[in-house]
Amino acid sequence: MDWFIIIASMVKMLAVIAIVMGLATLLTWVERKQSAVMQDRLGANRADIFGLRIIGLFQPFADAIKMITKEDFVPPFANRFLHTLAPILAFAPVLFVFTVIPLGPPLEIAGRTVTGQIANINIGLLFIFAFGGLAVFGSVLAGWGSNNKYALIAGIRASSQMISYEVCLGLSLVGAIMIYGTLDMTEMVIGQSGHWFGWLPRWGLFMQPLAALLFLPAAIAENKRIPFDLPECESEILGYFVEYSGLRAGMFMFAEFVEIIFVAALFTVVFLGGWLVPWLAWDGFHFPWGGMWYLPIWIVKMLEFAAMFIKIAFMIYFMILIRWTLPRFRYDQLMRLGWKYLLPLAMLNLVVTGVVLVLLR
Amino acid sequence: MQKKVTNVTINPGLKEDIYYVEVFRGLWITNRHFVVNMWRHTLRLFGIKTKEKGAVTYQYPEERRPIHHRWRGRHRLTRKQDGSMRCTACMLCETICPCNCIHIVPGESPNPNVEKFPEQFNIDVLRCCFCGYCAEACPKDAIRMDLLEPEISGYTRDIIFTKDFLLGVTDDRPWENARLEAAYEEDK
Amino acid sequence: MLSPSAPMTLSMGPSHPATHGIIRINLQLDGERVVDSTVDMGFLHRGFEKMCETHAWNQAIVYTDRLNYVSAMINNIGYCMAVEGLLEIETPPRCQTLRVILSELSRVEDHLTCLAAQVMECGALTAFLYTMKAREYVYELIEMACGARVTTNWTRVGGLSMDVPPDFADAIKARIPSIRIVNDEFNKLLTKNRIFIDRVKDVGCMTKEEAIDWGFTGPLLRATGVPFDVRRDTPYLNYDEFDFEIPIGSNGDVYDRYVIRLFEMEQSLQIIEQALEKLPEGPVNVDDMSITLPAKEDVYGNIEGLINQFKLIMDGHGIKPPPGEYYSAVEAPNGELGFYVVSTGEDKPYKCRCRPPCFPFTAAIPKMIKGHLVSDIVPIFGSINMIGGELDR
Repeated sequence: MDWFIIIASMVKMLAVIAIVMGLATLLTWVERKQSAVMQDRLGANRADIFGLRIIGLFQPFADAIKMITKEDFVPPFANRFLHTLAPILAFAPVLFVFTVIPLGPPLEIAGRTVTGQIANINIGLLFIFAFGGLAVFGSVLAGWGSNNKYALIAGIRASSQMISYEVCLGLSLVGAIMIYGTLDMTEMVIGQSGHWFGWLPRWGLFMQPLAALLFLPAAIAENKRIPFDLPECESEILGYFVEYSGLRAGMFMFAEFVEIIFVAALFTVVFLGGWLVPWLAWDGFHFPWGGMWYLPIWIVKMLEFAAMFIKIAFMIYFMILIRWTLPRFRYDQLMRLGWKYLLPLAMLNLVVTGVVLVLLR
Repeated sequence: MQKKVTNVTINPGLKEDIYYVEVFRGLWITNRHFVVNMWRHTLRLFGIKTKEKGAVTYQYPEERRPIHHRWRGRHRLTRKQDGSMRCTACMLCETICPCNCIHIVPGESPNPNVEKFPEQFNIDVLRCCFCGYCAEACPKDAIRMDLLEPEISGYTRDIIFTKDFLLGVTDDRPWENARLEAAYEEDK
Repeated sequence: MLSPSAPMTLSMGPSHPATHGIIRINLQLDGERVVDSTVDMGFLHRGFEKMCETHAWNQAIVYTDRLNYVSAMINNIGYCMAVEGLLEIETPPRCQTLRVILSELSRVEDHLTCLAAQVMECGALTAFLYTMKAREYVYELIEMACGARVTTNWTRVGGLSMDVPPDFADAIKARIPSIRIVNDEFNKLLTKNRIFIDRVKDVGCMTKEEAIDWGFTGPLLRATGVPFDVRRDTPYLNYDEFDFEIPIGSNGDVYDRYVIRLFEMEQSLQIIEQALEKLPEGPVNVDDMSITLPAKEDVYGNIEGLINQFKLIMDGHGIKPPPGEYYSAVEAPNGELGFYVVSTGEDKPYKCRCRPPCFPFTAAIPKMIKGHLVSDIVPIFGSINMIGGELDR
């Protein structure tokens, strides 16, 4: 066994968990504050430690304490086993998928290449779909196990919605897979390097614009957020987690925030060129108007890490913006949108991509 | 004058059928709010005054909404110039009170020039609906609702304002007096 | 164990986020489709009509605040107009114009609230908070006029409790543009948004005949294409002096109601502007010692005023309309708000009946939601703008 790989993987695992969980915790604050500023409010700013407020940054900690100390209630006629299992099933898969998402460029350490993802497996994207698909069990079991009619309706909605949109999600990405010719996420990003006309980066967004426009709604629908938040729909059927309290309700909420990061990271990797910075090569910037700016390799790598996180942050901002602006769909309209608009368009995108690829060959 | 009847039904067309156009217009509006508000917050953080604040809300316990001086707030009993109370226990306020929250026990006044005065004047403020009829009915300008105080609350189920409290004798809130004087000034 | 084909019974409310105001809808569901439903109302019954019988004519105005608490001013005015009709008096022109201005402000406030709640339940929370901002502007103006934001209690039989402050007109004129900006943003955010259109278009339809049969009035009737507006058809106050448009729809669905409410807000703002232009000077109360309280100078200063004050307030004295009955209606934001008062010549109403505009709408919920999905109940319920205080009285 190669100790180097084990240690590197351990370090990456810890780093990914720290980054993802930290970001998710921060997101609970970001979502509140961003929505508040959008709505001409200030948002949560009261949680303090010894009178120190820092614009409400302690709010996530206060929330965590509240959730841990609240009564962990199981309704008397609920299925205890499923009721307990559901939050775990909802939370675990969204963490698994981060094993194959590269959060940074490959690094050369001691003469070896260390990729930015935990597991460098060649079925990366399929792994994501496989484990992303498991998340549906959490919602369905929560709806079923609570023995509540509202939760039941929500659970059924969740299952049909997530299964339907899985198809669109997959098909919208197949075009990208065809172009990059790989399922490995790191390879995908590398496939997006280079420029057209010397200035336009060859990102997935510009190679597959239709796929990007189809992927985003499908991904938000997978994520169960407005405008596709039919399984929660707090003003209609109250959501599949209506019978949950305390830490278990918190796990559902946290799974949602982790999933936001996941969707943002996936979109960044597949369509926004991952860690690629326009006009930045390994030795510095090559500007399209001529001229160069040489940079040492470690600064280039830092810039690339920064670019990745800026792109993820932008996608998160955009998704929160969508969540607080749009009204939600109705159940049958959601199905119609998924099966009648997104799916045929994704198919069309596949055909066009295939034809173009054949013609170019 | 003219009252035209207009049919305002909107039939969505092709532009609305493409979801993205209107969705992005909506996103543009909320995004503009975000950017403008953040800009104002940032400027104010650095001490530069902007015409409007970044938020339209008030940070309640520290910052209070300016209340118009007509506000019907907490009751008070007024006094004459010599400091004795104006109320003559004529019972008009008790009569007109729609929710029977004023209870007066009249008694003989120590002042020989005044016939009656209230030995007890209790307002059961949790019954009070703040209609302002008592102040309107009072023929002596003895009861007013001009303390600009919207928050009247307590930890018991019987908050009864007694005569002393209404007169301001046992008022444990000294900041009241300044507001009270201001209210007087507004009336003149 | 239920057989698979048996409908599922789902009790929506009384404590459900969408049933603001308290109401219960018992649904029979086939999957998510509503097969049958019954509406259970009366959770907020306070006995307004019975309470009026034990209170003097003027005291009952307080209770009208609590009917439609979102547009309390119109309820005040409606009740006072009924009593004034009983007394056969006409209020002075300044009072009438002020009542028009405050009615229209309340209408704006009510429509803002209704639209906000409706779209919030469809998920658009930001639009909701923008309209809440505009509603706050209206509340500030109402506070300026009468000293309270929600429970206004501003009108009196034969006039107003007090004239508006001198800077009132300027304050309104300064606020109208900001209200328009909010309406415009709201309009741009949602009206043409396909997601929102899908939610509300062809949902909760009523035909003309059905709407008339059920006793619909207001925006819901106009949405079906009937141009009925109390302000136009039986003009009260001095509404016949103003130009405004009556919006009608053609489908009678939730979308038409939404657009009509948006359009009416703009019309109300235009009426306010016209009214401010021609706001006459003069007294706001009728010059009748048996109805209007005397001026404060007289009460404090001379014995006649003092006795007049006592005569109007003491139990068993006060305003005594001649025996008879009277019905008058005003155009409340929800529709025709009628007050039917009966007097036996005493200082208390013998009977005071309120015709709440949202009662027929709420009664028609089972008809409107039949065959729709559970999700459709929410926009339909939002569009009828049920106000618990008014519905259950």
